[in-house]
Amino acid sequence: MTTRYSQAQERVSEYSQLSAWSTARRADRWRVLYGAAVAVLVLVSYALGALHWLPRDPEAMDLQAMLLGPIEQGYLLGTDFMGRDILTRLILGIQAYFLPGLLSIAIALTLGALLGVLAGYRGGRAEMGVTYLSNLVDSMPRLVLMLLVIAAFKPGIYTIMAVVGLTTAPTVATLVKGKVLMLKARNFIESAVALGVPPRAIVFRHILWYNCRTLLLIQATLGMAEAVLIETSLSYLGFGVQEPTPSWGNMVQAGANYLLQGNLWVSSAPALAILATVLGFHLLGDGLNNMFEGGQRR
Amino acid sequence: MSSQPILRIEDLRTYFHSRVKQAFVRSVDGVDLEVAQGETLGVVGESGSGKSVTMLSAMGLVSAQPGIVTGRVVFDDGTPRELLEGLGRHVALERRDGRIMGVEKDERGWRAQAERNLTGVRGRRIAMIFQNPKAAMNPFETIGRQIAETVRLHTGVKTAHEARERAIHWLGEVRIDSPRLRYDNHPHGLSGGMCQRAMIAMALAAEPRLLIADEPTTGLDATIQARIVDLLAELRERLGMTMVLISHDIGVIVRLSDRVAVMYGGRVMESGPAAEVLTEGGGGHPYTQALLASIPQERNLREKGRLPAIEGEVLDTINVPRGCRFRERCQRIHDSVRARCEEHEPELAEVSPGRRVRCWLYQA
Repeated sequence: MTTRYSQAQERVSEYSQLSAWSTARRADRWRVLYGAAVAVLVLVSYALGALHWLPRDPEAMDLQAMLLGPIEQGYLLGTDFMGRDILTRLILGIQAYFLPGLLSIAIALTLGALLGVLAGYRGGRAEMGVTYLSNLVDSMPRLVLMLLVIAAFKPGIYTIMAVVGLTTAPTVATLVKGKVLMLKARNFIESAVALGVPPRAIVFRHILWYNCRTLLLIQATLGMAEAVLIETSLSYLGFGVQEPTPSWGNMVQAGANYLLQGNLWVSSAPALAILATVLGFHLLGDGLNNMFEGGQRR
Repeated sequence: MSSQPILRIEDLRTYFHSRVKQAFVRSVDGVDLEVAQGETLGVVGESGSGKSVTMLSAMGLVSAQPGIVTGRVVFDDGTPRELLEGLGRHVALERRDGRIMGVEKDERGWRAQAERNLTGVRGRRIAMIFQNPKAAMNPFETIGRQIAETVRLHTGVKTAHEARERAIHWLGEVRIDSPRLRYDNHPHGLSGGMCQRAMIAMALAAEPRLLIADEPTTGLDATIQARIVDLLAELRERLGMTMVLISHDIGVIVRLSDRVAVMYGGRVMESGPAAEVLTEGGGGHPYTQALLASIPQERNLREKGRLPAIEGEVLDTINVPRGCRFRERCQRIHDSVRARCEEHEPELAEVSPGRRVRCWLYQA
């Protein structure tokens, strides 16, 4: 009986620690997360081509309405130098980076997680190898590497993103390695061994899945931001997505020719889209980080 | 209580090589222990006496790289298994003038061999619980799912639903109230005592033949400690559990053990029935008696005015002195035995049925 009573008391004190303030903040957090989820859903449906509705035909040129500013003649975000609707092309531009971005993230996370776990759990030579690999990759300018690959193969955005993924993998591996080393010193891994959990289950289930998934998720959002930047800068240089397929990078580039004539908008619209997207992914990563890691520390 | 030993440890030695000191730390230095089916063996001793390392070595959990483990550990629940078999092949000792100067260890081979020996034993037939239960559980997984994991790993139960029901059953067995709700709690949502209960449930969920409890009450509040001891006592009665209990808390050992082994400096100094060994003034090894005298008890304080502590420090297991290990701290050493105490280490000799003492005072 006394056991029951004291346990009930324990529980009460546990819950009363959540003040009204922190619950309110938690509600806000959820609202932001739902908002972000809806935005991401719309984005993903466009990116995968599931959503076909577009404001206008992306290729239709209106020579009567070139280089329009926002909300002129019914064009919500204006038109470019050939009189094509900027909003439509911005939406289609999502496709230019999204799937390739996912590819780079998938490569970076899978390879990085495997290498990181190998280095952290095995230690010894595996750890040294991963450290050297990471230093090696870090010492090469990434853009030069990508241009080399483009020169050697063909200027496809997927090839480029594969390179991005491969070069990001050591960064992820280093992060995972650090986490694994930290976890290995904790008792629960030893006690899992003592309870006869096979090594495979310890590595994949207890270390990777339960203790590294937030880390990997956060890395994924940051990886997407990186992918946007890489795609746009390469397309800007003309190595990425080629006209007439719209991409934010080649839109900025095309608009840049008209900047000196005072047509700031044509370049600024996709540039702002890039800014907003990169910032958005970084904020998402930061928010997730606060939510998971911060919640742990509390 | 049958006398068939379920676990027999013979001449177990665990040395750690310290590169800095260029010497071996002899944490466990020739330990013999037996655990009979159905009994509870209490292993008691000061910190650093080798209690935990003995059990960790037997379970292949000595992970420090230059650690070498020799001896025999036989686990027998019908089919005898030698748990340390073949490990010696993966170690090369560098000897000079008959002394071990260095050690080369094929870490990977050693580990693979240990894994082979212990597959199907560790966790399944011998389960282990540790001190500090909060750290011993995965902080990101619910306790229920962690228990269900051992159920699925080690018993015939394979479906998720059944495993869940078994886990809830075990949560109830360890007297966690509303186990169905607690199933979804994460370790940080539980108190230390509750976590230790969950940990015990996790170990028992495999339905092991032997439970090794390594300081199960250390780090818990005094009142919670008493409850965990009660729980272990109850489970032992109800499930007929065989248990090895490691603790420096003699009170815990007295409550739970049938037989005790007292360890000092990596060796067993005395073993025998708990009631005999842990009686103050009942003869026995001077170390055991000194330990008993240092328990805060009303009688101790009344008679002696202050709590007697054992003089001196725990044995330095790098430079083990000649003769008896406890000699320098011994209060009962006197001139008629001094020469022998300083020269030779006594055997663990039987002084009465089932009771063995490693002391010259009891040997002619």
